Amino acid sequence: MLSFPLWSPNPYILSAGIVVLSYAVLSTSWNFVGGFTGYMSLGHAAWFGLGAYGTALLIARAGVPSFLALGLAGVIVAVLAVPIGIAALRVRGASFVIVSIALVLVLLLVFQSWRDFTGGSDGLTVPRPFPDLLRPQHHAVFFYLFAALLGLALLAWWTIDRSRFGLGLKAIREDEDKAQSLGVPTFAYKLVAFVVSATFTALGGGMYALWFGDLDPIFQFSILIGSYMVLMALLGGVRHLFGPLLGALVVGTAIEYFKVSYGDTQFHLVATGLLLAVVVLFMPDGVIPAVAGLVARFRPQQGSIREETAAELLERDRSSASPPTQRQNRAEVRR
Amino acid sequence: MVTGSLFFQSLVLGILLGGLYALLAAGLTLYFGVMRVVMIAHAAFLVLAAYLAWDVHQRFGIDPLLSLIVTVPLFFLAGVGFQRLLISRLRPATVTMMSVLLTFAVALVIEGMLGFVYSGTQRRVQLSYSAASIQVFGAQVAVVKLIAFGLAALSLLALFLLLTRSRFGQALRATIQHPQAARLIGIDTDKVAGYGFGLGLATAAVGGAALSLDSTIYPSLHWHWIGPLMAIIVVGGLGSIPGAAIAAMVLGIMQSLLQLPMGTTWAQTVFYLALFATLLVRPQGFFGGRLAQRF
Repeated sequence: MLSFPLWSPNPYILSAGIVVLSYAVLSTSWNFVGGFTGYMSLGHAAWFGLGAYGTALLIARAGVPSFLALGLAGVIVAVLAVPIGIAALRVRGASFVIVSIALVLVLLLVFQSWRDFTGGSDGLTVPRPFPDLLRPQHHAVFFYLFAALLGLALLAWWTIDRSRFGLGLKAIREDEDKAQSLGVPTFAYKLVAFVVSATFTALGGGMYALWFGDLDPIFQFSILIGSYMVLMALLGGVRHLFGPLLGALVVGTAIEYFKVSYGDTQFHLVATGLLLAVVVLFMPDGVIPAVAGLVARFRPQQGSIREETAAELLERDRSSASPPTQRQNRAEVRR
Repeated sequence: MVTGSLFFQSLVLGILLGGLYALLAAGLTLYFGVMRVVMIAHAAFLVLAAYLAWDVHQRFGIDPLLSLIVTVPLFFLAGVGFQRLLISRLRPATVTMMSVLLTFAVALVIEGMLGFVYSGTQRRVQLSYSAASIQVFGAQVAVVKLIAFGLAALSLLALFLLLTRSRFGQALRATIQHPQAARLIGIDTDKVAGYGFGLGLATAAVGGAALSLDSTIYPSLHWHWIGPLMAIIVVGGLGSIPGAAIAAMVLGIMQSLLQLPMGTTWAQTVFYLALFATLLVRPQGFFGGRLAQRF
């Protein structure tokens, strides 16, 4: 796969490959929160946009060198994510999702309205880091940069997955109250996962800014991007290291294809929506469990406290509990 | 310079806007109450209803309000079907989280279809009374805004009476308070939940007609509405209808008043500021129970 820039037929296909790769970075970053703790953020585009704009503004307004700006933007977002995380993680489930959506909507408002600083809806041009490279070479370089970032994110996820910290996060996912009563410092754990996730997403956003070179609040702070991250991670499987990557390959390719085929219409929204609905309704655990046998050889042993989710346990309890009561009822009726 | 009469004018407009917010937030609260579902698609249905009203006016030249005769029952049935066919299929343990994603998907589909059918062009209903306005205690108020408010107030009153006076309302409130206990005393909670959903969507139909009277509509308009509505139900305390109504009124008025010094766009941020302030001070919301923190 890494040889893609060498055999990709034309610069457009190569750039589509970079987009898919950037989606993989984003959904893997999303999975630090979504996969480990079960907190589904629909507003991760907020971090993506902040990373992109942070990088761009540092270069354009402060004259910081490109990749230093990228790193600085990552640090800034990490710092910002702490207070926001403290507020957002005080609520669970649906309320958390609402907060995450609100976050991206309010940032969209701010970045659109604050014209003299962010360029507003006129957009913001990011100076290119390698001005003397030709377009195809530029794409190839960024393909490897994105691949490196993806590798870093995957490595971080894998490390956490095998650590005691990761175990604590998964305990939160299964039953937060019980985890807390067992002495897991749930709030601190959630917050660390949230900040790590935000930082990686921001780095993905910053890299995108450096590559694409042109930012617009509508696209950087888009609920749609946030939902792509969720869709990709869910489709591949949030419990697996390569789940979001697989999801990004499938969904990202599909999105790029839809955009080319139905670019002018809103049809790609319908397609995305239907795909998300199908995933949620029919395979909320992702496709990886379905082909687990094949993948099992390539991925490390899971450090989960149990292989079944709390939901599956509950359902099994229910289904094993219901037949006897039905039989009892029938017996009573007969009597 | 902000004069007294300008201030009063904004206050009146804020109350009128707050009424519409209250109606829509009540619908959202209803879904959450009966099924623990956060319905992201509510605002998309709102915009869909607005488009239908616009279409009816465009095609047959009749008043958009008359579209209510068709859209309200249609949306009610759609709500029942939505609950029965989609929401009830989700696993009980993860229903809250997954329903958010599912309704989000529905919102995307509706937005996409609206763009597909009506194109992204901004639409506006032109009525004989569109430009008319009357004096209310010295404030100039557009007639269409008054009609929208009246519609919202009437529907909220009807909703309130239905919930408090009818047997179905009792069953619905029982289901919201304690689903298991409601089942024990013989309430068919699945059916009630379905009707509750239908009622919620019916409020979106009314809101949509009201919206079509004095707003420019476009397919992605629902993102503009969903943020404030979500903020309102969290501030009000998820699951509390009075909480939602009060929060809607207060925030609607604040938004309207802040438009004077800050401008339209920045005034919108009041909803998000209120949301984050609520989380820091009182995560379960200012009214209603402790539901919000858990779900």
